[in-house]
Parts: sequence; structure tokens; C-alpha cells
Amino acid sequence: MILRDALYVARRELLKFFRARTRLVVAVIQPLLWLGLMGNMMQGLAQNPFVERLLGTGSYLAFMTPGVLLMTVLFGGVFAGMSIVWDRRIGYLEKLLAAPISRAAIPLGKMLAAAVQGGFQGLLILLIATGLGVRFATGLPGALFALLVAMVFSFTLSGFSLALAVRFTSQETLMAVVNFFTMPLVFTSNALFPREAMPRWLAAVAQVNPVTHAVTPIRQVLLSGWDWLGMGPSLLVIGGLALLMLVVAGRSFGRATVE
Amino acid sequence: MEAVVVEDLVKVYRGGIRAVDGVSFSIAEQEVFGFLGPNGAGKSTTIKCVIGLLRPTSGRIRVFGVDVEKDPGIAKRTIGYAAQETAVDDQLTGWENLYLQGRFYRLSREEIRRRGEEVLRLFGLWERRNDLAQTYSGGMLKRLDIACALLHRPRLLFLDEPTLGLDVQTRKAIWDYIRKLREEQKMTIFLTTHYMEEADELCDRVAIIDRGRILALDRPGALKAALGGDLITLKFASADDRVPSLLSAIRALPGVRDLRSSPDGVHWIRVEQRGDRLIPELVQLALAHGVPVDSVRLKRPTLDDVYLHYTGREIREAASSREEHVRARILQRRVRR
Repeated sequence: MILRDALYVARRELLKFFRARTRLVVAVIQPLLWLGLMGNMMQGLAQNPFVERLLGTGSYLAFMTPGVLLMTVLFGGVFAGMSIVWDRRIGYLEKLLAAPISRAAIPLGKMLAAAVQGGFQGLLILLIATGLGVRFATGLPGALFALLVAMVFSFTLSGFSLALAVRFTSQETLMAVVNFFTMPLVFTSNALFPREAMPRWLAAVAQVNPVTHAVTPIRQVLLSGWDWLGMGPSLLVIGGLALLMLVVAGRSFGRATVE
Repeated sequence: MEAVVVEDLVKVYRGGIRAVDGVSFSIAEQEVFGFLGPNGAGKSTTIKCVIGLLRPTSGRIRVFGVDVEKDPGIAKRTIGYAAQETAVDDQLTGWENLYLQGRFYRLSREEIRRRGEEVLRLFGLWERRNDLAQTYSGGMLKRLDIACALLHRPRLLFLDEPTLGLDVQTRKAIWDYIRKLREEQKMTIFLTTHYMEEADELCDRVAIIDRGRILALDRPGALKAALGGDLITLKFASADDRVPSLLSAIRALPGVRDLRSSPDGVHWIRVEQRGDRLIPELVQLALAHGVPVDSVRLKRPTLDDVYLHYTGREIREAASSREEHVRARILQRRVRR
């Protein structure tokens, strides 16, 4: 029952997501810029054999594709909380709460919607990357695996964002708080820069940064091949975080709405 | 069975504000029941407790015999709720809004299709169902919101300020729908309003609530009658010695409670009720005494008078203490969250 209710909550978000044309266009252009421009800009650097060893590939574009994938998903997922603030503003949240649905279905539905949105944006990025010549060492299964990781990560981040959002009544405040987290998360991870080349303190931060744990397995299947043993710990971290955020979002949502 | 029974409801918000302070009332099936009161009086808070959006601090609430706190799921399915804010998602079409609402109330696709068409036609929105709600006018949005609340055929409908901010035509149209719902669908309706006229027009009974307490609860007519009847103001065209005997004749008429005169020849007659029926008699009596009448005016107490009698000040913010003002604002914010 809760899943069924959540699916209709998600359906509403997705109807709106795919209807917002401008947002879709931006969702395509942004990764195109990142990959096309920055991938190209940094390419010269990757010609250096030392750098090539650090990156694990001679193509910076291939190196940064998992990073851009996760970054896009991160920026998207983190805004899921906005919808709750908005729903509260227009009174839609109250309408949902007055309906005989399970309360937990509301955050769950929004998180599922974020996962689908993340998967869709991820697909666009992978298509663009393929167009620019990036190939998965593990082929199509590897690409699907990358999308799955991206979706789980989007689910997790939207939960984080929702848990924050229930405390705020203005979208501006939420935006400021969320941005406070997103940029440092990206730049203290190995999304755009190899951990091996980081100063020791930053490498230590990167090691506990969830973004790193999402990027690493994707990079593994893109550049080298399947290595379940090596990817295992990161996958456990990502999966565990998803569950944790589901509980955190559910509980803080419950606390903020039952009075 | 009573549609709603509220016994000694108390709601204290975190921070110690007593929004509802021992309210008891019951609503019969098919009754239109109105809540009147100034901002922050506890109207919305009471409603939100009844529909399970807020947890009462103490007291018991039953909806068609179901305890709302114990079985919220069952109670919620018999309740339709249209909030003060028009809770329509304007990035969805009218039909999508309705469809999702139906799904949240666990209706089947087929039921939604059938009833959805019915309510949209009733509210004159069927032709616009596939347009985004952001292209709707304020009145259309309100109608869509009420249509959504009706989709699952609730036995009890809550309308929180259903006509706030709407033009006169839309307001009258919504009144007609409300009457129709009561008569055709045998629905019980609980509404809150700021408009005395609306309460007078629609409600079988009204409760006047202020500072979390019910101050008066009765039929609008009875509340008005309790204030002391109609007032007739009478002026004669001439003032001569025939007037005093005329006045004592008027005093002797049945139903006349009191008669006072001002030095400049204006007479006030207080009548128990139906002052309109007494006017022809007064005029005839005056003519029989040979006193020509200059003007007659009838003033009946309105629900406004009743409301002001109980709640005192007309403009709350201006007259209230700072503490009360803050209280009203906190309450509104709570309720809107």
C-alpha cells in the first residue's frame, strides 16, 4: 500500500519534471558543456604519461564522465526538497496529509521520483559521452550499472534534501543550505580529480566522501572492468546510505508534520 | 447517527499557545454547520483536529462514530477537505489534479473516470480539464479544489473559507453548489467563514468561536432574535397634538416591546420579530389618526450584529493587544505549515 501511494506521489513529480521543457534542455546542455568543453580543455594534461598513470586512462574525458554523471545527479537530487517547501506553501502537503495515504509514502515517492530523474539525466550524459567517443570497458552492462548507481545516489541525496527541507519554510533558505553542501562535496571527491594526486589531507576527506564511493565503482567499470571485490565496500556504503537516508527523511518528515 | 461529535477538545501548540480551549459540539447528518470567528480564534485548528491533521492535546472526536485518533484511515475516507489555500498544483492539468487526488483516496481508474467527469461537469470545468491549472482563474481554481475534495464522495465535507477572495458571481455559484450537494448527495457540510452573510445564507446552525472557545451556538435566526428583535424608525410629516394618542395606540400593538422618541420627532419602535409585517399596520394606524407619515425604516439585526455582540471589536488587529496579535500570527503560521 505504501509503495502504491508512493508511486502516485512520484508520478506527480515526474509529470511536472518531463513537462518543464526549459529544465530538460538545460539538463542536456549542462553535461554537454562540462564534457565537451572541460574534457577537451584538460585533454592536453592527460597526454603526460605521469598524469595518464594517475588518471588510469589517456582520456581525461573518459576519466571525468563518471564525475560529471554524479555531479549532475547530485545537483538534481539535492533539489528534491524544494518540492516539499513548495507543497507546504501552496497547501498541497496538507491535502496529501488529509488523504488516507501513509505518511511515509510522501518522502518515499519524492525520493523515487528523484531516482528516475537522476537515471534520465544520467542516460543523457552517457549518450553525450558516447557521442564524444567514450566507451565502457564493460560495454552495455557496465553502462546500465553506472546508471543504477547514479539512481541510487540521486535517491539518497533527495532524502538528505527532504530531511533538511521539512525544517525550512522558504526555498531560498533551503537553496543556500543545500549549496553549502554540494560544492564542497564535489570538490573534496575524486569526481574531477584523481585521489592519487591529492594532498594527503584532501585524499583522507575524499575517502569518506560519499561522492567518491559513487564515482569509484563507475570509473572502475568504465576504465578497466568488473572487480566486485574492489567495488564491494563502495557499493555497500552507497546502498547503506540510501537506506539510512530513507529512514532519516521518513522520520524527520513524520516529526515535522505530526503536531 | 451524528456526523461529528467533538467533546471537550483542547489543542495546545508547542510553546504553550492554547488554540482550542475546551470546545464541544456535534453536527447532525446532512446539516450545514458554520464556524464564525476572528483570525486566530481556533477555527482552522479545530477543523484540523477533526480531520486528523493535528493531534488533539485532549478531548474526543468522532466522525460517524469512528474515533479519529484511533482509526484515522477510516475516518479520512469519509471526509472531504478543501483548505483555505487553494491546494491545486498549477503545473498539472485540472484532470491530473483530480486523477491523483482520486488515487490518493484509493479509487479505481474507472471510478475516477466516471466521478471525475461528474464533478467537473457540475463545476463547469469539464471543457478545460486538459488545460494546465495555471491558466485557470481564481474562481476556477477554487472550484477545482472543491471538485477534488468531492471526488471520493465524502459523507462529510469541510470547507475552510470556501469563498475567500472570490467575486460575487463565483461566491453565489459556490453557494448554489453547496446547497445542491446537501440536497442531492445528502452530504454533511462543515464550513468556516468570515462572511456573516454566507453563514446566514447557508448554515443550519452556526457556532461563534473566539480565543479557542465557543461563545454561542444556534440557528442564525435564533441568534439574531436573542439580540432583541427588529427596530423600526418612524418619522411623521407633522408634529401636532394627534401624535401622542397615535403613539400610545402603537404601544398597544401586539409584538411591540418598546417605543422611544427623540425631541426632534423621530420614533424608534422595537419589535420582537417580523417588523416588516408591522409596517403596513403602523401606516394605517397613522392615517386613521390623521397623521401623515414622512418615512419608515426597518433595521433587522444581522449576523454581523450577533458576531460583534459576542466577539466585541470589529477590527481585530487595531484593537487587540500586542500579545493577542502575536498569538493570531503564530496560529496562522502553524496552521498554514
